Amino acid sequence: MHSAFAPASPQAHLVATLWWWMLGVGGAIWLAVIATMLYVTLARRGRRGPDDLQHVPDATRRRMERVVLGAGSLTVLVLAAFLVFDFSVGHALAQHPQRALTIDITGHQWWWEAEYEDPDPSKRLTTANEIHVPTGEPVQFKLRSADVIHSFWAPNLNGKKDLIPGYLSTLWFEADTAGVYRGQCAEFCGLQHAKMAFYVVAEPRAKFQAWLAAGAQSPPPPTDSTQLYGQRVFLSSGCAVCHTIGGTAAQAFVGPPLTHVMSRATIAAGALANTRANLMAWITNPQAIKPGARMPAVPLTGPQLAALVDYLGTLK
Amino acid sequence: MTSSQREPMLPAETTLSEEEVAREAAALDRVWAGRPGFWGWLTAVDHKSIGKRYLVTTFAMFLAGGILAAFMRTQLMRPENTVLGPDRYNQVFTVHGTTMMFLFAVPVMTAMGIYFVPLMVGARNIAFPRANAFGYWTYFVGVVFLYVSLIANTGPDTGWFAYVPLSGPQYSPGHRVDVWAQLVTFTEIAALIAAVNVIVTVFKLRSPGMSLNRLPLFVWAQLVVSFMIVFAMPAVAAGSTLMLGLDRTVNSHWFNPAEGGDALLWQHIFWFFGHPEVYIIFLPALGFITPIVETFARRKVFGYTALVMSNITTAFFAFGLWVHHMFATPIPELGQSLFTAASMVIAIPTGVQIFCWLATLWAGRAELRVPLLFVLGFIFTFVIGGISGVMLASVAFDKQAHDTFFVVAHLHYVLLGGGVMPLFGAFYFWFPKITGRMLDETLGKLHFWLFVIGVNVTFFPMHVLGLEGMPRRVYTYLESTGWGSLNLVATLGAYTIALSVIVFLVNAIRSWWGGEVAGANPWNSSGLEWATTSPPPPYNFVHVPVTTSRHPLWDTTVELPVLSGLRTDRREVLVTTTFDARPDYRHEDPAPSIWPLYLALCMGLTFIGGIFSPYLVVVGLALTLPGLFGLAWQSITNHRGPDHVDAPQALAETA
Amino acid sequence: MKPLRVAGNVAELPSTVFGARSLMWWATLGMMVIEGWTLALLVVSYLYLRQNFASWPPLRTPHPSLVVPTTNLVLMFVSCVPAYMSARSAKQFDTVRVRRWLVVFSIIVVAITVVRWWELWALNTRWDTNAYGSAAWTIVGLHTTLLALDVADTVGLTLLFFIRELPAKMYTDTNDNSFYWYFSVAVWIPIYLIVYVGPRIF
Repeated sequence: MHSAFAPASPQAHLVATLWWWMLGVGGAIWLAVIATMLYVTLARRGRRGPDDLQHVPDATRRRMERVVLGAGSLTVLVLAAFLVFDFSVGHALAQHPQRALTIDITGHQWWWEAEYEDPDPSKRLTTANEIHVPTGEPVQFKLRSADVIHSFWAPNLNGKKDLIPGYLSTLWFEADTAGVYRGQCAEFCGLQHAKMAFYVVAEPRAKFQAWLAAGAQSPPPPTDSTQLYGQRVFLSSGCAVCHTIGGTAAQAFVGPPLTHVMSRATIAAGALANTRANLMAWITNPQAIKPGARMPAVPLTGPQLAALVDYLGTLK
Repeated sequence: MTSSQREPMLPAETTLSEEEVAREAAALDRVWAGRPGFWGWLTAVDHKSIGKRYLVTTFAMFLAGGILAAFMRTQLMRPENTVLGPDRYNQVFTVHGTTMMFLFAVPVMTAMGIYFVPLMVGARNIAFPRANAFGYWTYFVGVVFLYVSLIANTGPDTGWFAYVPLSGPQYSPGHRVDVWAQLVTFTEIAALIAAVNVIVTVFKLRSPGMSLNRLPLFVWAQLVVSFMIVFAMPAVAAGSTLMLGLDRTVNSHWFNPAEGGDALLWQHIFWFFGHPEVYIIFLPALGFITPIVETFARRKVFGYTALVMSNITTAFFAFGLWVHHMFATPIPELGQSLFTAASMVIAIPTGVQIFCWLATLWAGRAELRVPLLFVLGFIFTFVIGGISGVMLASVAFDKQAHDTFFVVAHLHYVLLGGGVMPLFGAFYFWFPKITGRMLDETLGKLHFWLFVIGVNVTFFPMHVLGLEGMPRRVYTYLESTGWGSLNLVATLGAYTIALSVIVFLVNAIRSWWGGEVAGANPWNSSGLEWATTSPPPPYNFVHVPVTTSRHPLWDTTVELPVLSGLRTDRREVLVTTTFDARPDYRHEDPAPSIWPLYLALCMGLTFIGGIFSPYLVVVGLALTLPGLFGLAWQSITNHRGPDHVDAPQALAETA
Repeated sequence: MKPLRVAGNVAELPSTVFGARSLMWWATLGMMVIEGWTLALLVVSYLYLRQNFASWPPLRTPHPSLVVPTTNLVLMFVSCVPAYMSARSAKQFDTVRVRRWLVVFSIIVVAITVVRWWELWALNTRWDTNAYGSAAWTIVGLHTTLLALDVADTVGLTLLFFIRELPAKMYTDTNDNSFYWYFSVAVWIPIYLIVYVGPRIF
């Protein structure tokens, strides 16, 4: 689901209502102008009198004045109404909640890092590209950029907000319908601006709580020999230079954290469904899927790749 | 002031015989003739030669930008298409936007001004002919530079807005963004020169009697826009040429947050220029509409004063809207509300203008020739863009629509509907004046229908795409997004636009060589430009026309009053006073000159060379000096005395 | 085409005028507006960047020195005398005095431009140190290009006056040359106050 036409939060609802009103009134104005235009040109065709270049009769002139003045005044009134409507919606959207779950979002070329704030650092969860939120409560986002300007936008839930280096932006919404909502970077940010998507998963509090608790845990260590080999491949082939896996030596944030990568529905910031085949394709040649992406192709033998993907498969 | 003071009523009151006019014209032909051949082409200083050149080059840029657009639409026709990869796509959309804004839309409007403003105010040439030629050549250097870069795979790739830090030294190494920054420099120099030229032409070279309240609305629009250029272009000069250029070449920190610089500063600076830019394109287009409506309604326009005031208020408010491009940035909400209000208020003057034209058509009997059809197409299309613009002024709604295809739809409705449609109407209307030939009416109607349908089919679906979440400037999208079918529709619309432009091209080329001969005033229109032959002679008018009303050719039913006495043995133009347009002095106009081209090449070397080495800047500037000296030297050696000076103590009699 | 009726004759009008009546004066004014506005936008940007710093100049950056800039400011005021005198002589078509004052004017304009080199270093920071340095250097640097233009114009004009007898319009140009110089001086005063004196105040 990815559309401003299907609001799933009170904030997006307000904006949608504003939009439908503006569309209705604007459409009516357009029809009126076009009807007038057709009337003054077509309806009088063929009744072409002599040229009257010198003057317009006074009666006609007065009628013209009245009509132009009337149309002008109507324009002013409609604009004033829009303005009041817009200010009231803007005012409602600007009411920041007192207490809210806070998620720190950092934009990277080209993925999203999400850190769930918690006073207890051990309970802090860092994930990527798939943001879970509880329904029916306000969620506040603190938005920062690690490199260039990005823009955080999930149209079903609220408008967008830019992430600008050197600035902190904030955005909040309250999802009122459970569901999975797609979002995408809205500010041009370079080669893979097109494939910098994320998902917001809105779910009831209990389910969210469970997800959060599971996320703060490190994944269980690998059990069989293939998985162990896969972990060694991960730690020795350069993956760990950029990625994090909780409970291992891999602790870098250049690329998305992979601690619970299997809990996510997509990989490569929404570019691919998270299947075994796609994972292999991505690791083998990411540049074929996202040309320009920061992830290099990792030269692995067939058995190495299979073991690595087996190991990643355990990171639930 | 009495009317006798305002009108230059001097004793001689004779009707000129055709022989007298012909004799005078023969003398003027000799002294105003350009040099022959290719050298003459390089040294031309006639505003009509330069204007024509500008029009042809800008139209070529419209085609180039259009071809790039066709590539983009083909790539986006279906999900995960592979016509263009991300690297090429980013260059293509950047060069498309840069071309259309900097190399087509703004220069084509100033080109219309350069060609027609002197004719419409009854002047023999533009105020500064050599500067005018220099402006064109500078622009031309920019055109060549950008397209050579694109073909060499070093085309700019960070958007026509070049947001930092993406366009800064860290995230865009190499020279791609430098190309953009310097191209902007060339365009801004050309635009500023044209603006000053138009302002001084309007202020000082008006036909005697053409007080400001008799100024044609076309010229009013050009005048207002020239002032806008003077105050808007320096912003992008400061932003791109200086701040961004220095950050990229000598490691200054204007936009580097790590050293106290500021990424949002660029956006403020860029949009302080960028938003007025839209009106710099739009207001001249509105200026085309009034004479077209008057001519084909056979009525004088309703609400002259209201139209002039609308122009001025639009220009004024245009400088108070820039933050509405930044509603998604973290700037205070109260400030945003002010910009919302200003963005909505600016709809009022535009609405008033449309109402005035409709009233004029209502009072008259509309004759549906192609120029008027394009005006109707303008209203049909532009009003949609205007209404979506009012929607976008709302901060709440804008946060949904900003940087999506909704905005792509909006801006193309405004620029194609509000800029290009009136421009096509103007081409049909004034083509006979420029070439002496009429454009074909049937092909014109085909062009019109294909264009209006094409524009609406291309851009209407984009409103929906935007609200369905499709961001701008994406080189592709996944099939699962469901954006495929509307994108296909848009692409088919784009091909229709391409077809319509081909029809126009065929029409223009055929008619230029073999069209119906037009005569001086084929539409029986009212402005001074129709008082001379088509195409006009190098000196525009054999005698200086005197203006007694806003519609000289409609109101002077028998004879057109003129002034005699400008010398026929040297190039002379009549300068009049700023407000009342009383004859003031006779100014010697410069002869054809190669120095404008030379100086433009030096300028090119300075700025393009500056990308690679600061030493080339020094070389370029050093080479500029002889050029400047050459200009002055030419003025002195070509001068034909004697001089008349009106200070009593003045004695000098020179050369 | 309509027949023409002669309604008057302009043969007796002058062919050379001074000041706001002449076209070149308007071109000069156009240059001033464009350059002045560019400088104004840079100064606004300079003040905008001020918000990003706790202190101004930033920590460990000394204040700009005032000796050289103040000297040059005084020099600029003094230079207005030959500027005025060359313009006045031009309006009287007094070739001898025009030559004399243009030489004085040229010398002093060149001197001011040379002193500008030390004036840049008197900022006591570099353009690539931080945004403060970038902003100050850019503003003073842009004004230096105005000075360079003044040098080219004034020295070029002086040379022409010595090379040969000149038509009346070059006397008009001499007047406009001084007009442009007054602008270069006037626009420097706020820059001097903001860039050199300002950091001691805000």
